[in-house]
Amino acid sequence: MNKAIIEVNGLAAGYVKGLNILQGIDLVIKENEIISIIGPNGAGKSTLLKAIMGLIPISGGRLYISGNELTNFKSHELIKKGIGYVPQVANVFPSLTIEENLEIGLWTKTKNSKEGKKEIFEMFPILSEKKREKAGNLSGGQRQLLALGRALITKPDVLLLDEPSAGLSPIAIDEVFKSISEINNKGVSILLVEQNAKRALTFCDRGYVLDQGKNSYTGTGRDLLDDPNVIDLYLGKL
Amino acid sequence: MIEQLGNGLLLGLIVAIASVSLSLLYGVTRIVNFAHGEIIALGAVLTLFFSSSPESSFLYLDRFSPLGSSFIVSSIASILLCGLFGALLELCLFRPLRKNNYGNVAVLVITIGLSIFLRHIFLLFASAKPASYALDLQKREDYFGIQLTPRNVQVLIIGSVVMILVGLFLTYTKTGRAMRAVRDSSELASVSGINSDYIITLTWIFSSMLAGFTGIIQGVINNVRWNMGFLILLLIFAGSILGGIGTSFGAMFGGFIIGMLVQLSVGLSFMDGHTEAKNAIALALMILILLIRPQGIFGSKERIS
Repeated sequence: MNKAIIEVNGLAAGYVKGLNILQGIDLVIKENEIISIIGPNGAGKSTLLKAIMGLIPISGGRLYISGNELTNFKSHELIKKGIGYVPQVANVFPSLTIEENLEIGLWTKTKNSKEGKKEIFEMFPILSEKKREKAGNLSGGQRQLLALGRALITKPDVLLLDEPSAGLSPIAIDEVFKSISEINNKGVSILLVEQNAKRALTFCDRGYVLDQGKNSYTGTGRDLLDDPNVIDLYLGKL
Repeated sequence: MIEQLGNGLLLGLIVAIASVSLSLLYGVTRIVNFAHGEIIALGAVLTLFFSSSPESSFLYLDRFSPLGSSFIVSSIASILLCGLFGALLELCLFRPLRKNNYGNVAVLVITIGLSIFLRHIFLLFASAKPASYALDLQKREDYFGIQLTPRNVQVLIIGSVVMILVGLFLTYTKTGRAMRAVRDSSELASVSGINSDYIITLTWIFSSMLAGFTGIIQGVINNVRWNMGFLILLLIFAGSILGGIGTSFGAMFGGFIIGMLVQLSVGLSFMDGHTEAKNAIALALMILILLIRPQGIFGSKERIS
């Protein structure tokens, strides 16, 4: 059986002290899995990723990475433990060139910087073509690819993606999902927060449905797609 | 106006270096630091403190010159102490404020308070009289039609070298890149593995050392006053904004233009006898340029999505 990379038990967290948005979330991501988190606006999907990433304080519950408890570790320390994260907005450094964006991803690594960049440029040739351009000039889809590249360059075990399709054209969305699938094929687990629930559930191995900061349903992507409650509440009639 | 060209170059250089230090600090920490002028003055005052000669008119300090009259050693010590002061400001004041999520306006008011406090500490210990470093007097000479003393030329060369080194540091070093990354987004820098607090502390040190250096050369060119930082602060803000706030090269350029214009305007015929109004024309021009180009000369409009 695949071992758990991230395990979250009874997680409570929020932006303001005493006002928890997440109220006891349980979640497991195993090796090589794609997990989707769906739910209505305000359910706490993005907040969950931020809490795991150490961007907001965890006020209750525990977080384990590869079996080690790392609750309330700082973001830059978690990166060293094998987590990569792509925020929904502001996910590139606009005044830095594409190459510099990738080099920032290599901050924690002392060696193999050329090798790392080469791999990313091979995966996303468009980034290689524009490597001396400022990231602020890229289109939304290209930014998303650069953000993926920046997170991947540390060779994480698991990648946390916050609505990678937000604001993109249908073609760009296809390209981003294709890239995510390729990344997963290389052995990186994916934790995906998505507004596009049908697409996310079709794409993932397992899914979690959040509602008002709590787990409401969980199961394989297929099961959730067919679950009448999930259809009623979040997906609409198929 | 041409006779002001030498002074214009010198003031332009001072404002340019100071603008880079202010702009970098603002970019990385988002703090509009009104006390930046006092860090500039600190560099000048400390150098005077360390190198003052026994006949110095500096109150209380006239018999204290631990580093003798070695101006170079005193300057280096002062620059290092300015860096230490910057680190202490971050660790003891601005980091706790940041962790408690104080709003920008609250922090701005705190920097104004800090500025007034520091300025009056200088006044208390350093008297209201302008003082000069124990350097020999030099005559102005002609350099390609520009009137400068040999020491002015040395200052211009050293200042230009410092600016080039700052530019190279920000562009090509790992730490410089990390400073620019934190300037763009400290949260994204953190989730890229960068300890933002560490980079912010380094920025405070770096920016304060640069500010201290500016104060020293300002003291060499003019003199050391308790309120010298405050007097130049507006020009530094103007330079940073004109170049595009948050962009180091823009600040360098904007600062230089503002400093030059301020000094050159002294040579205008209607300014005769009104040199204390010299800031007016440069600042009016700044407002005009910003009306046409709100992001500053080098600031760029960026996609928000």
